[in-house]
Order: sequence, then structure tokens, then C-alpha cells
Amino acid sequence: MRRRWFFFVGVLLFFSGLWVVGARPGELLPNEGGRETASEFLGAALRPALDFEDPEMRGSERDFIHKLGRALWLTLRYAVAAMSLALLIGLIWGVLGSRAWWSRSTLFLQTIRIGSRLLATAVRSVHELMWALLFLSAFGTSPLAAVLAMALPYGGTLAKVFSELLDESESSAAGVIRMSGGGGLAAFSVGVVTRALPDLATYALYRLECAIRSSAVLGFVGVPTLGYEIKTAYEDGHYREIWTYLYTLLAVVIFFEWWGAKVRSLLTKGVSSKKPDVRQPDVAQLWKLRGSSLFLRSSLLVVLIGGSMSWLLEDRWGAGISWEQRMRNLDRFTGEIVPYPVREADGDWGEFGPWLGEKMSEGGSEAVWQTFHLGTASILLAGVLALIGTRFAARSLASSVPREVRDGSPAWRAILGSVLRGAAMLGRAMPEFILAFLLLRIFGPTVWALIIALAIHNGGILLRLGAEVIDNAPCRASSVILAQGGSRTSVYVGALVPAGFSRLVLFLFYRWESCIREATVLGMLGVASLGFLISDARVSFFYDEMVLWVALGAALVFFGDLTSDFVRYKLRGKNN
Amino acid sequence: MLELQSATLAYDSVFAVDSIGLEIRSGEQVCLIGPSGGGKTSLLGLMNGRLASSSGEVILNGKELKSLSGKALKTARSKIAWIPQDLGLVSNLRVNQNIACGRASEKGFFGLMRSLLLMGSREKKEVADLLKRVGIEEKIFHRVDHLSGGQKQRVAIARALYQRPEMILADEPVSSVDPERAKSLVELLTGLAREEGQTLVMSLHDIDLAKRYFDRVIGLREGRVVMDGAPDELDLTKLYDLS
Repeated sequence: MRRRWFFFVGVLLFFSGLWVVGARPGELLPNEGGRETASEFLGAALRPALDFEDPEMRGSERDFIHKLGRALWLTLRYAVAAMSLALLIGLIWGVLGSRAWWSRSTLFLQTIRIGSRLLATAVRSVHELMWALLFLSAFGTSPLAAVLAMALPYGGTLAKVFSELLDESESSAAGVIRMSGGGGLAAFSVGVVTRALPDLATYALYRLECAIRSSAVLGFVGVPTLGYEIKTAYEDGHYREIWTYLYTLLAVVIFFEWWGAKVRSLLTKGVSSKKPDVRQPDVAQLWKLRGSSLFLRSSLLVVLIGGSMSWLLEDRWGAGISWEQRMRNLDRFTGEIVPYPVREADGDWGEFGPWLGEKMSEGGSEAVWQTFHLGTASILLAGVLALIGTRFAARSLASSVPREVRDGSPAWRAILGSVLRGAAMLGRAMPEFILAFLLLRIFGPTVWALIIALAIHNGGILLRLGAEVIDNAPCRASSVILAQGGSRTSVYVGALVPAGFSRLVLFLFYRWESCIREATVLGMLGVASLGFLISDARVSFFYDEMVLWVALGAALVFFGDLTSDFVRYKLRGKNN
Repeated sequence: MLELQSATLAYDSVFAVDSIGLEIRSGEQVCLIGPSGGGKTSLLGLMNGRLASSSGEVILNGKELKSLSGKALKTARSKIAWIPQDLGLVSNLRVNQNIACGRASEKGFFGLMRSLLLMGSREKKEVADLLKRVGIEEKIFHRVDHLSGGQKQRVAIARALYQRPEMILADEPVSSVDPERAKSLVELLTGLAREEGQTLVMSLHDIDLAKRYFDRVIGLREGRVVMDGAPDELDLTKLYDLS
């Protein structure tokens, strides 16, 4: 009954969402111009550029590969610098927000803990692109503004997740250290942090992968990363160059995904010690035979060197703007973010209410409503695509021996499974913003481009997570159904999906929150939503309006975040 | 060494430990026995100050545990080793690193970190000698999650001994192993504690093991002591409803 209600509400929200955001089925087919652009653009995919398409537009660059290398280098450097700062913020803040750190539970300490968590959630509610707009408007364009724009929301995200991971890994090991007279810091560091280390490291590496995507996307607001080159190449009609940038970005993101998976596996499973070949080995001999991984040690070294170099190699963090100039910019910005009527009335905040009401009725409420539905409809579409795709992509169903029952099926199933898993990997490696930017050029100014972009990226993530749930579901009924001659689809629909239902819904809500967050910025590409209002206010230099829309977007994401947390908490409870 | 005077532990109106008075002398081997929910774990919790009594006193070496705090409490606890039911090992650390945690009090935070990251050869040798006594010296640098259940229990025992405690409290440390392995582990722990002259208080479910390896058996039921004496005095009818 609960599942039926869930599907019913999902379908209702999907179609009402499409209606609210104005997605008409007829707009799904691009017009003639769009079809031409699509065919030219897709045709260029097979011939990525290795040199300038128009040699006259090389500017000061030596060659195209040099230009590509510089954009990639900046994308990576800003991402790594931002992550190193975010990691510091996330660790300190995550510890403060974790229950495991505060061994005593007084009202004051509880307030600090809950306050830390809420603040982290609030900071991450503002998308990095929004932070970038705020910092660029306040300080002017500079590498430091770009890095801070990523470091703040990523720090908040790391803090939130770290505090949850630390709480989940609290064990009696910490208690044993405390009970043997050890200090609280030692008990927490060894009994909690060390236990959580594989998960903390894995999540940090996953965020690094996200930071690379974000760093590329910051190119759309003027930071000279891969996104900037994609945008300018598109404006110049150089489609082959775009594909080269896209392939490079995808290759880098996929490499980092592979790296993260390898590190996780090594940290979680460890490396077995070798067996001694002498009867009674001494300690020194046993030490030499201990299980250790050169890959892990090299990775740690690369991370440390990369983190330091990302900061040391930039000599123009402030982009040459003097400190005085920056302070003047900041003064002007902080003055102008005060709502216009309040400024006119010499700081009388009584004018704020009517101004807010006016702005909300002039389009603010509608934009919030549209953003919510854009995110919701997109995640539901992504969920349906992933649910269908998982049937064919899950290894345990695509194999010739599904759920350990031989059925002598043809090899095409395994090939289809690999193709789908590959497509999902490409989908999640591609930033939604860049995908939406490209789709808007094909479909024209329709909200479908945003929905499809969000659905492709999140569908890729959900398909991977869903396949893991299905492959790991300890469901004997599935083997019985197959052994009795049932089809794989019957097993999937009748046994595996119901068995993993709670986890699948849990992942859907986890991505829903991200979808809402992304939906707030996609409007910057020119389709009505909060992002559109933000972009519009920025180009008009109405910083008071810009900050209002950013704050509204953050409030929407904050609401989504808390709702998602609540639902996931409830579902986890049911799982246990 | 340890004295409980009308110690009571109550959660709302439920008494986990109900006005228990007993004395445990230095070097004694005591087994706590009784049905599940009888109060064994709670009583052990009171003994190392992990739980604070609702009323009554728990006195360790002449000092009331509840009145201690800060350094004094840490010093008192450093004399008591605790082996919880789930053993309390850090599964993704090596055996030698887990054992080093036994001296967390003595080493302090930085000393412990140093032992975990760069254990010196002298300490490695000391840990190896200890592991030899529990029969798993070749596992010294293995990750704990690569060990079998029985080997993990030996690591927990070694960590307790490494602490150089005056007393070891063990909460059903053999509840999840087969009877043969349980016997060898209880034999090992009681034997080692006797060799070192350490007091041992262990809770168990197995009456045969209690009779065979301990000097004194304390029977607990519904939070009360229903019998306390030598193993041959053990009267099962007081512990379990056999009617």
C-alpha cells in the first residue's frame, strides 16, 4: 500500500511539475534550426579538434593543445585548492557537528552541535555558482574568488557528511580507550575517526571529482577553466573544439572516479600480509611481510603535493587588484545589497517588508515554485530511467548466470549491461550545467533542456547506485523464481525491487536534494526559474535583488535538504 | 580492592542493579553468571565507572569512583582493563596498533599517535612477546578485520594485558564462539591473569566454564546477587527458574 502511494504521488508530482514549469510535449522535438545544429554538433563528436578550427582566432596561444592544457590545468588547480580548503573546513566543522565528539550532552553543547550542523546545511544550500557570483561581484574576478566560491559550499557539504559518518562509526573501541584512562581526544581520534577513515577518504575523493566538474562550470561566469573554453568555442561555432574539451573533462572525471574506487577498495579491504617462509619469523621479518599498498602511499603523496602546489603555483590570487581597491569593491557591494527602499529611507528596515512582497508577487514566488518543480520532475524522470536501466545494467541480472541460476541466455545481455553502465558513467561524469547549456542550443529556449540535463546526470548516478542495491540484495526468492522458469524481469519487478525498495527511495531523496540545488542555478542559462532572476539582477547591477533571489534559492534548498534528511532518517530506521 | 556498598543502578523504575553489596579482593578470579538481563553488564559498568550508580557506592582502592573526575578518574581507570562483548577493536588498524591503545592513558594523545604511526622497535618487541603468550605472534602486523573471531578475542586479551592493569573486567568475551574455543580462551585469560596476579571479573553464560576456571562465582538475577561463593556451591535453582 505504501509503495502504491509512493508511485501515485510520484506520477502526480511529475506531471504537475511539467505543467508548472511549462514543459510542452511539442517542444521535445527541436525545430529545423535546432535539428541542423544538433546534426552539426553531433557530427563533430567523431572528429574532435587537435588544432584551432579557425587559426586566426588563436589569440596569444601557441597551439590548441597548449590552450586545452592550460584550461585543464586551471580547472584541476582550482578544484584541488578549493578541496584542500574545504577539507579543512569540513573536518573542523564536521567534528563540531558530530555527536561522537561531544561526550557530554549538556544543553549548551547540544546547541553548538545542532547549530554547527544547521550552519553547514545553510552554507551548502547556496550553490557554488551563486557563491561565485557573490564573490565576483564583491571582490572582482580573481582565482581566489573562484576557489572560495567552491570551498565554502563544499566545506559545508563535507562537514555535514563527515559528522554523519563520524556518528555512524562510533563504537565500543572509543569506549575501551576512555575506560582504560585514555583522553577524550585519543578515544575520538582512534576509536571514531580511524574507523571512519575509509568512508571519510572515499567521500572526500568523490567531492574532489565533483569539484573538478564545478571548477569547469565556473568557466560560465568568467573563470578561465574548461567551461569558459566550451562556452566561447560554442559562441564561435567551433563544435569540434567543444568535443575535445568535453572528452578531456570526461576523461579526467572518469579517472578520478576510478582512483576513488580503487582507494576505497584498498582502505576498506586492506592488503593481506604475506605468509612467512621460515618457521619462527622475528618481528623485523614479519614487518617486511606486512600488507601494504604502494598505490595508497603514492596516492597520499600525490594528494599532499597536489594540495600544496595548487596554492603555491598561483602568483596572482588577487588577480592584481590592490587591497584598497578590493575593500572599495566590497564596501560598494555591501552597501548595494541593502534593499533599495531601505537605502532610500536612510536604513529604515520597515521598508523591507513591502519591497519583499512586491518582488515576490512580481515573479519571485513563481520562480521558487518553478525551481521546486523543475528539480522534482527531473529527479522523478531520472528515477524512472534508472529503474528501467537497472533491470538491464545490474550485473547479477545481465550475467549468463543470473542470481546464480544458469539459464543459457545469449551474450547480448552482458554487452547491453556493459553499454548501459558505460552510458551511466558518462552521464554522471558530465556536469548538468554544461549538458543543459549544450541541450538548450539544440532544443531552443525550452525547460525540457534543463529537465533532460538533470535527468541524464542524476539518472547516471541513480543507475549505478540502483545496480549496486540490486546486485547486493540478499534475496533468495529471486533464485527460486528463476529456477522455476520465471523471467529476469519477473525477478526484478517481483522480488528484487521490493527487497531493495527502501534503499532505492533513499537514494532518490538523496539526489532530489541535489537536483533542487542544481535547479536553482540552471535558470542562469536563460530559462525561467530562480537562476534566471539572479542572472538578470546581476547584469542589471541590482545586487539587492540578486542577494534576495540567492537567499530564496538557499531557503528552498535548505528546505529540500531537511526534508530529504528526514525521509532518509525514517527509511534508515525501517531498514534497521 | 573493589567494594560495592548497596550499589543501585535504575533506569526510570527498572532496577538493572538492585542494592548490591560485595567486595572483590586483589588477585581474585570472579565469574558473574546469570540469565540475560540479570544485571551482569550493568554491574561491570559500575565497577569501572562507565556507569554511575543511582545510589550506593563503588569504591576502588579506597576511593569512591563517582566522586572522581578528570585526572584522578583517568588514573583510576588506567588500573582497570575492560574487554567488552564486541571486543572494542578498531577493525581497520593492525594488531600491534590495537594493542598499543591499551596504554592510551600512559602515553597521552601524542604518544599514542606516535605508537600508531611509527611504533618503535622496542615497543614492537614488547607487543610481539605479549602476542606470543596469547598464541598469535605471527599476526602482529595483520589488520584486525583479516583475523578470525578467536584471533580477535586473543588480540582483545593482549590489549588488556598490555595495559598492565590491576584488574580486568571482561563482559561475556566468549559469547560468540564455539564451546571448544570458548574453553581455551577462558583458560588462557584466567591463566594469564593468575600469572600476573591480576584480579579478573568476567561475566559468562556457561556454567561449566564458571565452575572449572574461577575461584568465586557470583550469581545475578533481576539485578540482585542470588548467590556468591565457591564454584562447587553453585545452586542453579537460584539462578534459573527450573520448575
